[in-house]
Parts: sequence; structure tokens; C-alpha cells
Amino acid sequence: MTTAPSSATRPMGRWLLSVGSVYVAVALLVVLGCIVRADFLSAENLLQTLKDVSILGIVAVGLCFITLGGHYVDLSIPAIMACSGIVAVYVLPSGFGAALAAGLAMGVALGLVNGLMVGYLRLNPILWTLAAMSLVDGITRWAYGGKWIYALHDTPSGAVFGSLYAGEMLGVVPTTVVIFAAVAVVGDALLRRTGFGRRLKLTGAAYEAARLSGVDPRRTIMWAFVFSGLASALGGVVKTSFNMYGDVDIGLTYDFQAVTAVVIGGVTLAGGRGSMPGVIGGVLVIGLLGRILPLIPGIGQDQQFIIRGVIFIAVVGISMYALRRSGRSDV
Amino acid sequence: MSGIGTALELRRVSKRYPGTLAVSEIDLEIRSGEVHAIVGENGAGKSTLMKIIAGCFDDYTGEVAVNGKPVTLRSPAAAKALGIEMIQQELSLAGPLSVAENVLAGRLPTRRGLLDKRATLEEARLCLSLVGLDDLDPSTPVEDIPQHQAQLVEIAKALGYVPCILVMDEPTSALSREEVARLFDIIRRLVQQGLAIVYISHHLSEVFEVADRITVLRDGKRVGTFEAREVTSREIVEAMIGGAASDLYAKRAAPPGDVRLDVRGLTRYGFFHDCSLTVRAGEIVGIGGLSGAGRSELARSLCGIDPADEGSVELDGRFVAPSSYSEAIRDGLAYLTEDRKAQGLALRLTVAENLLSALIPRLCPAGVYTGARDTAIVGRWVGSLHIQPPEPEREMATLSGGNQQKALLGKWLATDPQVLILDEPTRGVDIGAKAVIHRAIAEVADRGKCVILISSDLPELVGLSDRVIVMRRGRLIGELSGPECTEEAVLLAANGEGEAGLGAAGLSPRLDGPHPGPLRPGSGQALPEGEGEG
Repeated sequence: MTTAPSSATRPMGRWLLSVGSVYVAVALLVVLGCIVRADFLSAENLLQTLKDVSILGIVAVGLCFITLGGHYVDLSIPAIMACSGIVAVYVLPSGFGAALAAGLAMGVALGLVNGLMVGYLRLNPILWTLAAMSLVDGITRWAYGGKWIYALHDTPSGAVFGSLYAGEMLGVVPTTVVIFAAVAVVGDALLRRTGFGRRLKLTGAAYEAARLSGVDPRRTIMWAFVFSGLASALGGVVKTSFNMYGDVDIGLTYDFQAVTAVVIGGVTLAGGRGSMPGVIGGVLVIGLLGRILPLIPGIGQDQQFIIRGVIFIAVVGISMYALRRSGRSDV
Repeated sequence: MSGIGTALELRRVSKRYPGTLAVSEIDLEIRSGEVHAIVGENGAGKSTLMKIIAGCFDDYTGEVAVNGKPVTLRSPAAAKALGIEMIQQELSLAGPLSVAENVLAGRLPTRRGLLDKRATLEEARLCLSLVGLDDLDPSTPVEDIPQHQAQLVEIAKALGYVPCILVMDEPTSALSREEVARLFDIIRRLVQQGLAIVYISHHLSEVFEVADRITVLRDGKRVGTFEAREVTSREIVEAMIGGAASDLYAKRAAPPGDVRLDVRGLTRYGFFHDCSLTVRAGEIVGIGGLSGAGRSELARSLCGIDPADEGSVELDGRFVAPSSYSEAIRDGLAYLTEDRKAQGLALRLTVAENLLSALIPRLCPAGVYTGARDTAIVGRWVGSLHIQPPEPEREMATLSGGNQQKALLGKWLATDPQVLILDEPTRGVDIGAKAVIHRAIAEVADRGKCVILISSDLPELVGLSDRVIVMRRGRLIGELSGPECTEEAVLLAANGEGEAGLGAAGLSPRLDGPHPGPLRPGSGQALPEGEGEG
């Protein structure tokens, strides 16, 4: 009995694809951080690093459902974030609970529309969400144009709203980080411990095979977009809590950053392969880069964008190379 | 300038795929001005041989001569330069482009660096007239012309290169009876002009109609070359299957019990019509037929993957819904697809994930996946089907074809199906995996389940099945059982040799009602209209 070239005989390729490699990158960045900054390992600095990256992390956890499901990316993330944040701050006078619910409901609704379009009508996910981005963004700007709705610190609901970002739990841990951790845990459980997670991976890995296993891939994809919309909305609400006013531009760059995190985290763009710990690792890599790069002389905001772009291309290239080395191909 | 010069000569040509010798030391001589048919069962090496001739491989061994000169055919361009053109089974036309642009693809006439539209249309008209399409406007987009015309356009495109050898792989699969007759007229005309045509087909009746000589392949070897006028279809069939059925397949002892599966009048317009069959407890019912006869389509509709237009499916006296596949799975049906890579397995996932993939709803009560039973289920099927290497966490893509096929079977056996429908369960797998799969299928039947076996592997079909139903052009045309159920009888019946089958092979005719609905030629891969054979 012959076997095809196995991954075991190609350790390099196998290693590059494992979750471990992401955390090796995280460790290397921490070492680099210690070189450029003496107190890098202080609790304060590490917590700040996590805090910086929490909103991205929340969004990336949601996005990874779409990527795992074989539908690449939700480009409407920035619009969902802005729209949900504005809705939340608009409803805030009616109470914090109502504001949070309204913001998240907005995300679920937009995710549902994306899911119906891409899942059931089989529209191309990139083209549809690109159009949805423009649509939602335009409607939000139109409806919100010229207004500045502030969340007022001196109302009870406004105080709670503000503490979403600025608050701390147990005296030290930023609330944002706790929210991120909770989202990550729930996301991981959804992926590994529910039928939905199983269906999603199967659908992403092989759409037809999923259908011929009795799975309804259309519904599965729809739910992936709903979860992503929900996560984006949560990210948008937290970001609005940071600003304390509604802003149509809060979501800028989150789409690309989230895809970068997901890809660095080892989720195959073609779908089906990847895990939540990997995605968290990818988010940490981006967070650490954001902390370390500004400390290096000559690297400003602009250069960071360039570096992120280069990293994205490099990671996609390396993972393609690794897949081919191990006798697999994703195209 | 018709003649009997040798256009193409192969001597001791072989081609090895990893693990198998697909073509083994074949000698073949194709003469100018003849239609030379190549026939053989699936896996006999026809396609590989044709690909060698078309220059698709750079690692064949042996000698090739074209028009008496020794040549090498290491690339498609080399083959084209020598005047060899191939018409693939799958059309290679670009739908949105015009007929003319397709016919002249790669050699569009230009004037001063710009496309010369008038010359393009004229040149295309010339090519089209060679295949009798004088009336077709060459500026029509290919996607707007019917399938049979597209087939002819494909041939016109090949003829545009003025080949000396034309290879045609199943050129009639999309054509109706009248269109086939017209194609054969064109073939005869081309042959009279000295062209050598290599003609591959499953349809023996067509082969006899058009071919001058017939070469039979079996297991990658040439069994013989016959003058078409001096041989009967029975002799060709015997050469194809190599005599009597092998006795690899021990008949199972347990007699089948009561009827459990009752399919009545199942119809999907344009694909299959009024198909009724029953399967008893513990019975393996084979469905034989040529590719395109509608066997897979019947199976898919039977378990609700594709919609059926009419008819019912009853399991143990209860109607099962042939509308939703997930419900059908819950009711105990399972369909093992013939396309394991694209439709059966998720190659990117692990062996374990694949084995569990049809069980997802059952393993997630209330949506929560505990994974408690995973290891036991996976271990059971990896063990009993000898999946190699026995590592559940290995990615499916890294397993050999045979082990992938075993895993696909395991995936469905894990659902403990009451009705197991197998579509080409051992296509392209090695002999060891085949034995394991056959044993597993027999075990399922022995436990009182129903098994429907669709296979083009005749020894397997005849050896494993308790009886074989023959399907032809979308209809179940007869049933063979007991000593009458031989490879020969199945093949003759599948080829529409109705009388021969009825008389000599003991084919019992089935009741064929009137057409329950209109056939829809042209809709999708519709079946050609009935030939009106007995």
C-alpha cells in the first residue's frame, strides 16, 4: 500500500503550518521588544499591548468564521463597526443595556444580510461585502451627517458605556481585554464544541462534500456572516466607548488588519484549516508589532502600514509554499 | 488521396503512473484513411493511450512513428506540429467568444498587427464547411449554439490545423441519434480524404457503425485488433472482459429477506424515467449501464440530493422524503459519491474529521459537540477498514487513493445506514483496498441492510451483486440474476443489444410504461433521445 508524500516526511512544511509557529513569532517579537525597551515585560506594558489589540481581536475572531468557511473576508467590517457604534450611542440615553443590544442587533442584521446574499444567493463574498461596505457606509454618513452624538460621562448609562473601554476589572485588567478574552473563548467553543463549528470547517474545506454529508452549507455560511457581523458590532461599540461619540470612520483599516491577523494565525484563505488559538496568536503578533515598531527609529505610522502589507504577503506566500512542500495545494 | 499508408505507429509503448502501469507495451498501427476504434472497459488504458498520442506525457516509453518517421511526442505542441489533433470528451471552447474566434484560436489572421475580421470569418466558414456547418454564422457566440453544433465546431477547429491524425474521445456523448448519424457521415467523408481517425467509445453499436478496425485494450495491454466486418460484438465483449467472470467474489450464503426498499416510478425529466426497483433485506442490487445512462442521477435523486419530478421511495413501508438529503440520511439512506475528491471527502481536513462528517447532527445533541464518542468511532473504522497509515489526525490529502476511498466508505458506514448506495466504490483503487471495500460491503448486506451498487467495473458488479438491473438511456431496461448474470450479458444489454440479451443472455424485460413526460434534450446533460430499440 503506497501513500502519497506525507506531511510527516516534510517536517519543514508541517511546522510552518502549525499553530506553534505563530507563537514562536510571538515569542521572537517579545524578545525583540525586550531589546528595544527595558521594561517590556512589565505587567503594565503587556496589559497595554493587549488592550491596544483587543478591538482588533474581537473583530478578527468573528472574521475567522468567514475565512474558515471558505469565504475569505468580510470587507464590510468597517461599515458595520461604525454603524453599530453610532446606533449604540444614539440609543444610549435609554440605558446602557438598550444601547448595547441595539448596537449588537445592528451588527447581527447587517451580518444576516451579508449571509443571505453570500450564503443563499451565492454572490461572490469579496464583491458583495465590498458593495455592502459602500452601501452601509454611505447610508450611515447620510443619516448621521453633520451630527455629533456624544456619550455623556455624567449620566449613569454614559459612565458604564465609557468603562467598556476605559474601565478595569479586578483593579488591573482592562475591561476591553476581558471582553476580548470572553469573545475568544466563546468563539473557540463555537468552533470546536458545536455542530455549527464542525459544519463550518467541513463547508470551508469542501463545499460539495459538505452538501453530500447532509450539511446545509448555505445556512452554515449565513451563520458565519451573522457571527462576524455580531463581533464587528461589538468591536464598533467598544471603539465608540473609547471615543465617547459616534464616528463614521472608526472602522478604518480594521478589515485588512483582521484578515492579516487571521492569516498570520494559520487560517487557510481557501477555508477549512485553522483554529482559534492560531487567530489569537495572529492578533498578538499584530499587537506586538504595533508596540515595538514605533520604538524603532525611523518607523512611523506610514511605515507600519507598509510593514503590515509586506508581512501579509510574506505569510500568504510562505503558507502556500509550505502547503506545496507537504504535498497539498489549496487552489 | 485515400490510401493504406501507416499514419501512426506505436511500438512497445508504455506509461507508468505511480503504482500502476496504465499502458503496457502496446503496439498499434493506425492507417491513413481508416477509422480505428479503441475499446475497453474503464481503466483499460484507453484515455492514457490517447493522451500519449496527443503528447500529454513526457515520460512514456517505447517508439512512435508518424508517417513512417520516428518521432517523439513529449508535448502537446510537438504532437500538433506532427499533425495530430485530439478532440477531448470535454469541449474546450470558450463560451463568450464567437464561433470564428474559437475555430481559429491561436492563429487568428491579422493585418498590419490588427485583427482581420473579414479574413477571420472567411477562414472560419471554410473550416465549418468541412463539418457540414455551412449555415452556421461564425460570429455567433459559442454559448448560443446548441451542444451538438458545439461538438462539430470543436471538430472544425481541429480540422483547421489540417491534421493527418484525428483522435476523438467519446464524440457522441452529447449527441442525439440523428446528430450521431450526421457526424458519422462527416467522419466517412474525412476518412475518404485520407485522414486517419482514432475513435474511442463505450458504445459498441456506434463503433461497429463507423469503425474499419477495432483494437481492444484490457488492463493496459492490447488484446487484439480486429477488422470490424469480420467480428461480432460478442467477440469484442469477450475480448474486453477476458473471458468468464473471475471467481474472486464468493457468493454470499445468506438468502435475502423481505423487501425493505421500494422505489416506484422515480423520474427526473431529461435524466431518467419511470425507474422502479425493490431491494430486499440483505440484498446487493447492482445497477449496470454505460456512463451517461443515468445511474448516478437516479441514485442522487433516490436519496434527495437532486430533486425527482415524479415517483416515490419507501423504506420499510414508510415513505422517505426524496427532497432533502439530510432528512434522507436521518431516515437511514447513504450515498457514496463516485467523485471522492470533489464531493466525497474534505481533503484538507483530517481522517477523523472526515470519518465523523456525516455524523455531525447525531453527535451534537442540542447543538453542543462533546466529542466524547469521537475516538471510539474513528478508531473503529480506521481499524476495521485498515486505513493506512492508522493516524486519525493525518490530513486526508496525504493518504493514497485507496485509503481515501476506504475513509469515504467508513464515513458512511459510521452512520449505520439502512440503505447504502455505492457509486463506483472502487474506482481507481488498488487491489488491496478493493478487497477490503468488497468485504465491508458484503458485511453490510449480511447484517440485513439494503445495498445498491453502481459500478462500471463489470467483474465487481456481477461478482458482488445478487442481481443486476441494467440501465440504458435513462430507463431500467432489464434485470439479470442467477447464472444469466454474466459480465457479457450486462455489457450486451447496456449496449442496447436487446434481442441478443433477451434471447441468449436471459435478460428478462421489465415493464416500460409510456413516456411519463417529455424528454428534454438540450437541458443540461440531457440524454439523447431514445433510439427506439426493441
